[in-house]
Amino acid sequence: MTHASHPAGELLTPHTLLVLRLLAAWRALFSLLALLGALAPWTGLLPGLPVWQGLLISVALGLAAVFSLLASRDILLRRHRGRMLSLVLDYLSLVACFIAVLQIGGVFLGIDALGEVFGRSIWFLFVVLAGYLLGAAGDYFLHDPRTEALLRQIGKWVMLFGALAFLVVANLPQGLLALARNLANPAGLGAVAGMVVFGLALWAMWRSPTALALNARTGHEQMLSGWLFLSPNLLGFLIFFAGPLLLSFYFSFTDSDAFNPPNWVGLANYARILNVTIKPLASPDQLAREVLDISVYDEVGRLKIGNGGLLFGAEDRFFWLALRNTLMYALAVVPLSVIPALVLANILNSKLPGMKFFRAVYFIPSIAAIVGIALVWQWLYNATVGYINYFITLAVEFLNNTFQAGLTDPKIRWVSDERTALLSIIIIAAWQTMGFNTVLFLAGLQNIPGELYEAATVDGAGAWDKFWRITLPLLAPSTFYVVSTTTIQAMQVFEQVFILMNPPEGPNNSTITLVLYLYRSGFQNFKQGYASALAWVLFIVIFGLTLIQFRQQRRSSIYEN
Amino acid sequence: MNRKLWMLANVFVLAALVLAACGGGTPAPAQPQQPAQPEQPQQPAAEEITIRWRTRPDNQEEINVYSTISKELDAQLDGIKLVYEPGGTEGANYQDQLRTEVAAGTAPDVFWIPGTDIADFATRGLILNIADLAARTEGFDVNAFYPGPMYHLTYNPANGQSGANSGALWGLPRDVSTFALYLNLDLIEEAGAPDPRELAKQGKWDWEAFLDVAKKTRALGSDIYGYGASAWWGPYGVWLNAAGGGFFNADRTACALNTPESLKGLEFQRALYQEHDVAVPYGEDPEPPFRAGKVAMFQNGRWATPGIRTVTFNWDVVELPKGPNGHMGNWLFWGAYVINAKTQHPEQAWKLLQALTTAETQGKVAALGANIPSRVGQEAFDAFLTFTPPANNQAFLNGLADNPATEGPLWAGSWPEYDKIMGPAIQAVLTGSKTVEEFGATICDEANKAFNK
Repeated sequence: MTHASHPAGELLTPHTLLVLRLLAAWRALFSLLALLGALAPWTGLLPGLPVWQGLLISVALGLAAVFSLLASRDILLRRHRGRMLSLVLDYLSLVACFIAVLQIGGVFLGIDALGEVFGRSIWFLFVVLAGYLLGAAGDYFLHDPRTEALLRQIGKWVMLFGALAFLVVANLPQGLLALARNLANPAGLGAVAGMVVFGLALWAMWRSPTALALNARTGHEQMLSGWLFLSPNLLGFLIFFAGPLLLSFYFSFTDSDAFNPPNWVGLANYARILNVTIKPLASPDQLAREVLDISVYDEVGRLKIGNGGLLFGAEDRFFWLALRNTLMYALAVVPLSVIPALVLANILNSKLPGMKFFRAVYFIPSIAAIVGIALVWQWLYNATVGYINYFITLAVEFLNNTFQAGLTDPKIRWVSDERTALLSIIIIAAWQTMGFNTVLFLAGLQNIPGELYEAATVDGAGAWDKFWRITLPLLAPSTFYVVSTTTIQAMQVFEQVFILMNPPEGPNNSTITLVLYLYRSGFQNFKQGYASALAWVLFIVIFGLTLIQFRQQRRSSIYEN
Repeated sequence: MNRKLWMLANVFVLAALVLAACGGGTPAPAQPQQPAQPEQPQQPAAEEITIRWRTRPDNQEEINVYSTISKELDAQLDGIKLVYEPGGTEGANYQDQLRTEVAAGTAPDVFWIPGTDIADFATRGLILNIADLAARTEGFDVNAFYPGPMYHLTYNPANGQSGANSGALWGLPRDVSTFALYLNLDLIEEAGAPDPRELAKQGKWDWEAFLDVAKKTRALGSDIYGYGASAWWGPYGVWLNAAGGGFFNADRTACALNTPESLKGLEFQRALYQEHDVAVPYGEDPEPPFRAGKVAMFQNGRWATPGIRTVTFNWDVVELPKGPNGHMGNWLFWGAYVINAKTQHPEQAWKLLQALTTAETQGKVAALGANIPSRVGQEAFDAFLTFTPPANNQAFLNGLADNPATEGPLWAGSWPEYDKIMGPAIQAVLTGSKTVEEFGATICDEANKAFNK
């Protein structure tokens, strides 16, 4: 739709003028309704509504009221801004009404049952496809109009039959009845009416005569189309990502248990997380209760120095244990999954036969389901019947029998010994992440110009020099990306621990990690507010680490630009 | 035409799917999850009220039995349409999923929760107090069930009273269970150890005799173990109970893990793992080696029976050995059917609750071998004894008869918090990284904090 060539708003028909007046009136009415809606949470009309929801409703509808009023004025003044605001407000309202219709109609919850119904009815979609192909086959008989028409006709009937059969088997009649039944109440009818009204308002504002009357230009139309295409993703981001993010920030200042209205507790959750103390010890084995106020603090750890030492206590010792374990885990996993990946990528980048096969092989752990992987490793790690210990035993016996080595079978208790439990998780994570990192390094390696290596060869550089002076510096952007994403992933370790360990915290809390602790607090101990605070502290830790990596990257990336 | 038609077909399919999704719907508040039955869901008659219910099955056989029970009760209960949802297993986080649904307001009308969760759900107002409904029901008697679970199910936090007239009833117990030792009779015979079942009959099955059998079987090879138990509060708790100790004081308002009796029980268990080295290392899953024929005595509940029935060696069960105070220290495990506080049909949900806990319904579930009926009565006992193997089902009933400690919530504190502190500390002792003395010196300083939360 292009309006730039038309004189703006000079040849308005009475009909267009009427539409403009109606749209301006609609905007004023919308503004009034939105204002009333914004006040509703505070007038007792919505009993039991949590404060945060009331605030959200008031802010959203208040803004809508202001912008709608502004749009009403702009429409009367024939400013295009009024059209833009109207389209945005009506589009968002239409989407909201549509979602409300789906919700009230029971579509979201019914989707669970759809898998079963779809399994029965999907075959009829192939009939529809067959009909389509039959009709499309008419294109090959353009020289024979009768055959062409016949094929198209048959194709249409086959498609119609397939479609009807699909609808019947997919429970469409019942679905329509259920939808009608669910929507036959004030809320449902209101949502349907809203869809109709907002749809009409959108159409009236979008059509060419209105656009012309409001001085629309080609640029405006392009911008609107751009936003329209972007809107599904943008709305999804706002509703499913940014919204919960802000909500969790709010919850972190409350005592929310997810079931009852939360109470505002200010910074209490953060204070509890960060409340620590360090006390000197008279002797290395002095009891914590003798130096700590045990009504507040628990011992996290102690540092033995000579005949004394230092005792580290915290109000929430599990957080500090989790932080310690998570950092140790990240410290081990990052080099173990990055350095071997770099070596592997260099090997796989060579032109040896079969390399493509091995690239796929090393990538498989990255795409395998983590639950399956953890269960397999659980069996491998089993101290009594696991394969790892079995092979260690075989090796020890072989060495003892062959060389009289006198070795003792260590019978490692991989997951039940606090000295090896975290290591077990690290091994799995490094093994699993390495393949993905290898692919990233491979991509980076293939971007390095071959001429540089040729020049280096001419200059007499050896393989190590080429790797050290060409490959590694030019891989810096890839290395930075790999290291930072692996660090972020490592700081969020959860699934491996949750599935592999029993209990997940491991022996003497040796595998409790930050996300695991967050999950336990929020979903098992009914402390959603506290868990939200933990999530934000974790975010700050990860953000800090990533920031350090960014700064390091800027300093060292001499080859950039 | 083709492109346009193709687009139209796509739009049509999407719209049809959305509308078809409505077809699986049921009236609010109980919205449908994955239907339990593969058949096409039927729309209830207009006057029927749909009640969704859920319980945690341990395997597909249990899912099938509960599905059948749901169908039968559906036919019996006039005006009620039942929808059964299996709800996963413990490995699939039954509890976490349920709590999320409760928070979202989409949980079923009736659901099962473990006994330890009753206080949390009740005090947060998530389950319905059905005392009034029960009082209006002719013939209903709380004393028909085991008193231990009913103590907690009738506990009224408002007045601190329990019993039929406390003014509270939070649900009805689905079933009960106790621990027993699953025996690998082939290993015991091979080791020349006495038969624990015979020792139990003679009243000689105590800690000493237990240790003797464990040592003799352990001597069969470095990969053969005398005893195995999983790493959670149930298995280690029995040794504390049997020594006269326990997790809490008598009124469950403070930690009792540091009493001499509790420490004695813990010391005996530590010795099993560390000194005598007769046990599958603590924290390692003992079931795979038991099933592989490498563990002589495997401590587990009745729920393990269906799985154990598939092993190829000779096996049976025996009750737990008696401890220094003359008792086994066993647990009375239980879970309860409760009613969602947000249900719109409490009367119908209550009818379902009663129907699910009749002797007849419980007998059908117990026949699978995984549960013991929660109703007290010789009839239930007699029926249970017929559900073989194991031949010595009496071992479980002996456990029930030996004054077991009832699994239960903490009305004066938070059980999850308590367990979070106690579990790792005990594990540290049993894996040798902490002594019993060190454990006793600090554990209650930490664990008592769970009573303030």
